[in-house]
Amino acid sequence: MLEVDGIDTYHGNIQALRGVSLTVAKGEIVCLIGSNGAGKTTTLMSISGVTPPRSGTIRFAGADVTRLPVEKIVAQGLTQVPEGRMIFPRLTVLENLMMGAYPRRDKAAIPGDIERVYELFPVLLERRHQLGGTLSGGEQQMLAIGRALMARPKLLLLDEPSLGLAPLFVEHIFSIIKRLNQDGATILLVEQNAQMALQIADRGYVLETGRIVLEGKAPDLLQNPQVRAAYLGLE
Amino acid sequence: MKRLAPALWLLLAAALAYPAGPWADQYVLHVLVLVLVYMVLAMGLGVTPGFCGLLDLGFVGFYGIGAYTAGLLTLAYDLSFWVVAPLACVCGAFFGVLRGAPVLRLTGDYFAIVTFGFSELVVMVLTNEIWLTRGPLGLPGIAPVSLDFGWLSAFFRPGTPLCYEFSGEAPYFYLALAMAASVAAVLRRAKASRLGRAWLAIREDELAAASAGVDVGRCKTLAFAVSAGIGALAGAFLARWSQFLSPDMFKFWESFLVLCMVVLGGLGGIAGACAGAATLIGLGEALRALLPGLGIPVEARFLAYGLIMILIMRFRPGGLFAASARQPDCPAG
Repeated sequence: MLEVDGIDTYHGNIQALRGVSLTVAKGEIVCLIGSNGAGKTTTLMSISGVTPPRSGTIRFAGADVTRLPVEKIVAQGLTQVPEGRMIFPRLTVLENLMMGAYPRRDKAAIPGDIERVYELFPVLLERRHQLGGTLSGGEQQMLAIGRALMARPKLLLLDEPSLGLAPLFVEHIFSIIKRLNQDGATILLVEQNAQMALQIADRGYVLETGRIVLEGKAPDLLQNPQVRAAYLGLE
Repeated sequence: MKRLAPALWLLLAAALAYPAGPWADQYVLHVLVLVLVYMVLAMGLGVTPGFCGLLDLGFVGFYGIGAYTAGLLTLAYDLSFWVVAPLACVCGAFFGVLRGAPVLRLTGDYFAIVTFGFSELVVMVLTNEIWLTRGPLGLPGIAPVSLDFGWLSAFFRPGTPLCYEFSGEAPYFYLALAMAASVAAVLRRAKASRLGRAWLAIREDELAAASAGVDVGRCKTLAFAVSAGIGALAGAFLARWSQFLSPDMFKFWESFLVLCMVVLGGLGGIAGACAGAATLIGLGEALRALLPGLGIPVEARFLAYGLIMILIMRFRPGGLFAASARQPDCPAG
């Protein structure tokens, strides 16, 4: 579904990604782990079109999307839940969700999808008329995921969904991600919390200073001595 | 929508009936029309900083473009107001897009500086392109608004001239009222639409808006066009109402006054913008009458505006008539 082939991305003159290649097949959860500054977020930003790569290609659902602007890529069914949640603080929860449905033309189906998001995250139903900025961190993350789902994405890019959340919330968010996947969503997940990420993922990539240094099935990565030492804190 | 109290309805009915009666005072009517014109301006300006979060310091430029477009077309071709007003609107919107194109990527202070420069440019052109605008001499003798039903007379009594030319302030009052009401209705619809939500999303966070699939450039350009078109509409009305135009009428101060109205009423609110316009124009006229009696020069009323803005910023930063319960935000994340 997604084929990233040898992309180089720069921030100004600094090369952040060096020939990163990865694939995500339909129905998979693929996770991208790595330490701070390894280029995880940059990889997602390159795929979603926010910081397009200087060279290499990105193909999504068979079409080349390397040079498309962000909003065109979203319209193709590739939706990103950005790091730091980036909800609209002064729009209500409901308005935030409606914004997620922005690229869609099938108005009639939107209320049903809102119901589905409320079903996944009942707290959003309770707070639907509250301003997004007044939600707690965990609730904002749910709202950000809910908003992304409103676009009915074919592929969901999740950037650090556990960032800054209480451990209980982290488990809840991960169980939701797992459930979304079981319902048919394809997910590319970027996480610092490698343990949690690898437990729910099918496959994983390890990124170090802009390069993919390791890839494999998630259970194998969990057993890999390098990964255990560097990212799981286990000997 | 809250239900209006009976007292408010009475007040509204009185306001509607007042200009029609023989008791109507021309000066009071003039001020009322002025209030309505500024309401239209405030609503038009409100689109850019209120919905999209871009500070526009040069809004008066579009007011001037609309006014001169209407004035020149009237003088040169003797066109009816009903033809001239839409043309002025389109012309204003065109310049709105033209100004918008190079500043799409700018935000904050940089955007504000460009808009400020733009309105100064408009005044310079109006002052110096004498072959077109007669420069500082201004454009006198612009025909008033008229309603020509001559084409109707063909149906019953051929040849009867059925032309009503506006005189006095009362008909202008009703025209301005209709103009303000339709602008308010259009903006209310726009704000609740998909486009309106996109505007608010851009105000909140451009990158997040783009990630949600909003074509930021296109939405901003549309906002500029709508805002400028409304400003030009007010200008067209001004041209046919005051029947005289000069570049002085479109100085920077006017932009600032309209911006004060929008901020006073509460950014992003339509009713708020109208309330802000009524307050500042009403206050200005009251002080104009009051100050000379106290031996203070009339210009001192600008100090009162400044004082009001400082008090608002200190005590009601969301605006006097904050349209919704939206408080200044707690930042996300």
